[in-house]
Amino acid sequence: MKQALHDMNPSIKFLVTTICMLTLAFFFNPWTPLICWVGVILLQLCFSSINWKKWFLFMIPFVIMSFGYFWTTIVFAEERTGAIVWSVFHYDITKAQLDHALSLSFRVLAFAGLSLLFAFTTDPTKFILSLMQQLKLSPKIAYSILVGYQFLPVMKEEFVHIQQAHRLRGAVRDRNVLVRLWNLRRILLPMLAGAVRKAERSAFAMEARGFTGEKRTEFYQVISVGKNDMILSSLFFLIIVAGCSSANWI
Amino acid sequence: MLAKWKLKEVVLMSLFSIVFGIIYLLFLHAGNIWAGFIGPIAYEWIFGIWFIVSIICMYIIRKPGAAVISETIAAAIEVLLGNAVGPRLILSGLIQGLGAEAVFAATGYKRFTLPILMLAGVGSSIFSFAYGYLLGGFSVFHPGYVLLMLGIRIASGAVIAGVGGKYVVDGLLATGSLRGYPIARAVKGDARA
Repeated sequence: MKQALHDMNPSIKFLVTTICMLTLAFFFNPWTPLICWVGVILLQLCFSSINWKKWFLFMIPFVIMSFGYFWTTIVFAEERTGAIVWSVFHYDITKAQLDHALSLSFRVLAFAGLSLLFAFTTDPTKFILSLMQQLKLSPKIAYSILVGYQFLPVMKEEFVHIQQAHRLRGAVRDRNVLVRLWNLRRILLPMLAGAVRKAERSAFAMEARGFTGEKRTEFYQVISVGKNDMILSSLFFLIIVAGCSSANWI
Repeated sequence: MLAKWKLKEVVLMSLFSIVFGIIYLLFLHAGNIWAGFIGPIAYEWIFGIWFIVSIICMYIIRKPGAAVISETIAAAIEVLLGNAVGPRLILSGLIQGLGAEAVFAATGYKRFTLPILMLAGVGSSIFSFAYGYLLGGFSVFHPGYVLLMLGIRIASGAVIAGVGGKYVVDGLLATGSLRGYPIARAVKGDARA
């Protein structure tokens, strides 16, 4: 039970969460996204064993962001009709404005909830394999992404090495974060040159081992679709339907 | 679409997409916090950074699909690394890539001058803005505010993605590591002509 979301087929999970997000985009009342956000959290409480401490840490930037949406929508809103519900410094906030603002900020939270659900319960390798097996992603692309993904730790090391090399030659580390970001461009070029060489070498190696990139029907690691996926997908859609119809019963 | 590609070009595109996927993610986090203080317009200044990989890959590989596929992979990497906008990011990557691809397709994948690269950045800006307008619910904002956002995004796409992308690839070409890719052949061809 606690593993259901982790075991769900990644492609189906991807499609379902994307459909949920696209549906949410058409609703401008505060209740729909709020209900979906709560529903998604409940879903994770019941069917997943994720690290909730990490989840809260990841959620913090979104709360800040949703606050940003809240006040900009209030200040820059187009629709200023309806009863005045609140007055700050002679600035009147109407019902329509408040609804839109709440809706947009809850939407940010609902989107964040859905994407964290996906990110925390999906194994990257399985996701790529499933994209290839269920959604007919070209094996040429799928395997080259997997190759690249395996290079990530190597590139991280390389990044540190280049940084150290620069410092050895007297490049000073700036205090200002923005200047430091701008200086990253000096590291980018050697990293990319390294990436080009790695790409060439691994492509030769793959071809030497008989990789042609043709479509295939049999796989070493099979990612299947089962009953579990159907049940979870219907739960997702239940949440969305509940959220979308909320305007009628609240 | 990939039949005419060499495997090394596909792997190169994937690797670049991964490197830029990480950079995109850094900017996404920075942008998220920034946006919390000044609202959704915060992203517009730096939006061009998110189009750069499609222009870099197309400029190097020069084959149909290089822009849209690389941008989509970069978005997928952001999702795999556990980002925060979620799987829907893959869709936005696809749409941004299509914007750049449309410009290159219009030239018949033959011209890769600076103005074309900048136009590709603008194409991505316009496509991504239309998508953002729908999903971000920009329609609740005042039209003037929306136009301002669009204007900044177009400028950012042209400068950061177009000029920046060319700068990065030209630097890379000078290191000599791109020998054996269409861009090196094209430059040699120009020299001969």
